[in-house]
Amino acid sequence: MSDPQQDLNRDLKQLIIDALGLEDIGVDDIDDQQPLFGDGLGLDSVDALELGLAIQKRYGIKIDADAKDTRNHFSSVAALAAFVTARNAA
Amino acid sequence: MNWINLHHLLRPLDAPRQVTQAPALDHAELCTQALRLAGGLQQRGVQRLAVHLEDAAELAIALLGAWRAGVTVLLPADLQAATRARWSEQVDLWLSDQAGDRSLLSLLDEPLPAADLDPHTCSISLCTSGSSGEPKRIDKQLSQLANEVSALQALWGASLGDAWIIGSVATQHIYGLLFRVLWPLCAGRGFERRQLPFPEDLQRASREHADFAWVASPALLKRMGDNLDWPALSHVRRVFTSGGALPAEAGQRLQQLLGQWPTEIFGSSETGGIAWRQGDTLWQPFAEVQLSQDAHGALRIASPYLPVGHVEQTADAVEFSTDGRLRLLGRLDRIVKLEEKRVSLPLLEQALCSHAWVSEARLGMLEQGRAYLGALLVLSASGRHALRNQGRRALIEGLRRHLADHCEAVALPRRWRLLRQLPLTSQGKLPEAQVQALLQAPRSMQPELLEQRQEQDQHLLTLHVPLDLACFSGHFPKTPVLPGVVQVDWAIALASALLPGERRFAGMEVLKFQQLVRPGDEVLLSLRWDSERGKLYFAYTCAGQACSSGRILMETVDA
Repeated sequence: MSDPQQDLNRDLKQLIIDALGLEDIGVDDIDDQQPLFGDGLGLDSVDALELGLAIQKRYGIKIDADAKDTRNHFSSVAALAAFVTARNAA
Repeated sequence: MNWINLHHLLRPLDAPRQVTQAPALDHAELCTQALRLAGGLQQRGVQRLAVHLEDAAELAIALLGAWRAGVTVLLPADLQAATRARWSEQVDLWLSDQAGDRSLLSLLDEPLPAADLDPHTCSISLCTSGSSGEPKRIDKQLSQLANEVSALQALWGASLGDAWIIGSVATQHIYGLLFRVLWPLCAGRGFERRQLPFPEDLQRASREHADFAWVASPALLKRMGDNLDWPALSHVRRVFTSGGALPAEAGQRLQQLLGQWPTEIFGSSETGGIAWRQGDTLWQPFAEVQLSQDAHGALRIASPYLPVGHVEQTADAVEFSTDGRLRLLGRLDRIVKLEEKRVSLPLLEQALCSHAWVSEARLGMLEQGRAYLGALLVLSASGRHALRNQGRRALIEGLRRHLADHCEAVALPRRWRLLRQLPLTSQGKLPEAQVQALLQAPRSMQPELLEQRQEQDQHLLTLHVPLDLACFSGHFPKTPVLPGVVQVDWAIALASALLPGERRFAGMEVLKFQQLVRPGDEVLLSLRWDSERGKLYFAYTCAGQACSSGRILMETVDA
């Protein structure tokens, strides 16, 4: 009874928590659509850099360095999941 | 390209000279806009202008225009409400990208005639950020800035050639202002308008130019991944980095990938550049900078980038080699850098202690992936009450919100450890190694044993239930209570010395839970071993009230 989409979202939330050393936050506390940066989860541009490295390592994908505005994919868990799915398919 | 002194930048030129692109801007148009801004500012009677712009070319226009009109410029580190409030009495008008402030375009008016700038009356003020505690205003005359860009050009102008200047750092601070704006303007090098904090964007911008150089920071350089086109990037003419220490491994990796060591600049908002190094451990002072030490070994600086006659005393411990180069030995105060942001630990500790929930606080820096702060806290009675009745998460959230008024988000602690007391040495000190050990240790699952004694066959142990047991976060998030299974675990673990030989858990009888045990409680655990029946009797009481009791069957472990 597991939905692959939900599994990926959970996986990404755990990766965010682990990679950025967040305490007192569980995967259930992060909403799929919640903004990760600024007022949402309160992450900053250094977190975005760390997250970029962690995601490339975890999923064996590469952020296309020649595409524009690659960090737009980092706005929420849902956006990240769509990005990882698309890169895996590519 | 011909060098133009900073105070001569508004002079009309004979030949066209590119400043930036997207949209394109040449030097003549830059001057026209600066002179029109000067007219606009004069028209409005503005004397003191605050400028916070993302676009480096707009910043250049704003600076030159303001200086031409005899207007002093303040460069705030950010546009937070507290920052605005702090400087509001020293500013007539805010020029920024934010709605509600004036834009550059809206201030252009009839131009003033072109003229040279006065190196001694034109000035800017830089601000250290709020998280350094008391934000400081640092005034600099145009002559100080001019001396510094001339020195940079003498050192590296030839090797940069016509390189396009691309920066990952903001221009509100001295390093970005000098390297991304003022130096390229004087040297006639084109520069990228926007700050590019991500490696992919840096690469895209680099690829548009045959020659390019980076004005980067350790935060970026140590996180450039394998997804980049390193062979293409290796054409970079020079990689500048400043704002904090670049880890040696990061420098080494860049050397392998780019074929050159990054050029590191050691400096501060107050002093400007002090020294530089490239692939070396020792720092070479800039040519006209004179360095010495005070009695504590802390660096003192006299420099043409400082006000005339001023000697700046820093808290950086240094050691000089015989050839005049220096080694940095660390700070003598408790100012740390978090990803290039200066943070004063004592001031944040004061801010924490000003909250009713906190009686003592000690901060330390952790580096796991990124650098962040960890907090050791001793809660006050009301803080313990909040923890017991609202849970750890609500407590920490409350403290983070409180701190957010005192510092930037980067300085908010991410790891918190709640202690009964700070483990001070007999001299009343808490050594840094101890702070690190406490912060790095995972949250405990063990009780603190305060006292133990024996009455006949009863073993009586006084235990403190730590405020910060790992199980409290989940059991339960808003009302932490000590799980029964943990109480049984503790009883077995603490009884192990009483039991003959090795025994293992085999079941429980007459288990009773009568009263909740909560964080911070002091409980009395009584243990009695009945060897005939192989049963361990346990009972927890808190202030005379029974909390739980039962019998635990312990069977022998067969060899």
